[in-house]
Amino acid sequence: MPQRRPVPPPRGPVPPHQPPRGPQGQLPPRRPQGPPPRRYAAPPPPPGAAEETVILAPVGKGGTATEEKPAPAPLGKGGVAIRTAGEVLITLGLVVLLFMVYELYVTDLFSAGKQSEASDQLDGEWSHDRTLHPELIDGKAFARIHIPTFGVDYNFTIQEGTDDAALEVGPGHYKGTALPGEPGNFAVAGHRVGKGAPFNDLDNLSSCDQIVIETSADFYIYKVLPYDDEIENWAGGKGADPKCKGVSTLRDANAEEGGAYSATFGRKVVLPSQGTAVNPVPYKDADVLPKAQQAALLTLTTCHPQFSARERLIITSVLTQQVPKNQVKDYGDLLSKIGEA
Amino acid sequence: MYAWIWRKLPGPFAAKLTISVVLVLGVIALLMFVVFPWLEPRLWFNEVAVN
Repeated sequence: MPQRRPVPPPRGPVPPHQPPRGPQGQLPPRRPQGPPPRRYAAPPPPPGAAEETVILAPVGKGGTATEEKPAPAPLGKGGVAIRTAGEVLITLGLVVLLFMVYELYVTDLFSAGKQSEASDQLDGEWSHDRTLHPELIDGKAFARIHIPTFGVDYNFTIQEGTDDAALEVGPGHYKGTALPGEPGNFAVAGHRVGKGAPFNDLDNLSSCDQIVIETSADFYIYKVLPYDDEIENWAGGKGADPKCKGVSTLRDANAEEGGAYSATFGRKVVLPSQGTAVNPVPYKDADVLPKAQQAALLTLTTCHPQFSARERLIITSVLTQQVPKNQVKDYGDLLSKIGEA
Repeated sequence: MYAWIWRKLPGPFAAKLTISVVLVLGVIALLMFVVFPWLEPRLWFNEVAVN
């Protein structure tokens, strides 16, 4: 490509103050109106110039874009400002995209490392001593959750507390709520998107699905309570399924509106402000039932809908069985005993 | 902006390209390891607990 820039004589419609732009002087005007176009079609080149622009010969008057773009004209101050603004906006868009990548994938990687560390540590502690009551230290794992429905290898450690640091490792135990196996409500929060997303699939659980909580000495087997539309015909319907052994509606037939557990369902979507979801008796005052009469529940909370924090998804299950660890070899053995393997 | 940065980069084309790749990776790393972890707790969409 010739580097020489032909300088056609400043005549004809080319404004004299505008230097010609490169050898492509023959480009047709893009904007017939407005200020004099910078790349105005020059009149047929003088015989001398024609030689130098011969590579562009196929593009004559009325031709379309050439492969070689003309060198851009230097922008004025306003042009530079607009271009810079555009570049900044595009950059910000890319940063937002990157943030999505971070949220959805990179936090998973960070959390996976923390989770495996916490898991190893927990195993180490359990192999040393088997205290019945775990020591609760903020952010530290004290139990493990398994959900056979999500696969044999689905397990996460449960940390004490529901602050960001604890939830980054895995699901977190609401401070002050019951402990595994205790009457009351063992409540656990977990991320649904990113950070390992332990509770990503909670909405795929059905009633009677098992949730296993492992502590140093025991496996506690909880089963998801009947859903809203199953309550009415539970005993004759799904409740008769052997899989649902031990799962009742918790309703008291003699009491008005079903008694203390009238608002408890296997799955519920509530507003984030509804902290009563993790009360010993869900959605009821703490004193509605004495502790001895409370059912041993497990409540899992996560955000809802997915990718949003508008609401919370609440899964509530009830303790159906306690299997001391010395009665089974390991979790796989337990699964075969409880009919999940 | 980018054209200005490109002009400021020293060396021939290959050197400029290498430096720009390093710069871009550096910015991504800064975002991933410093800016986003700082920013994230200040946003709302990671709340999973009821209170």
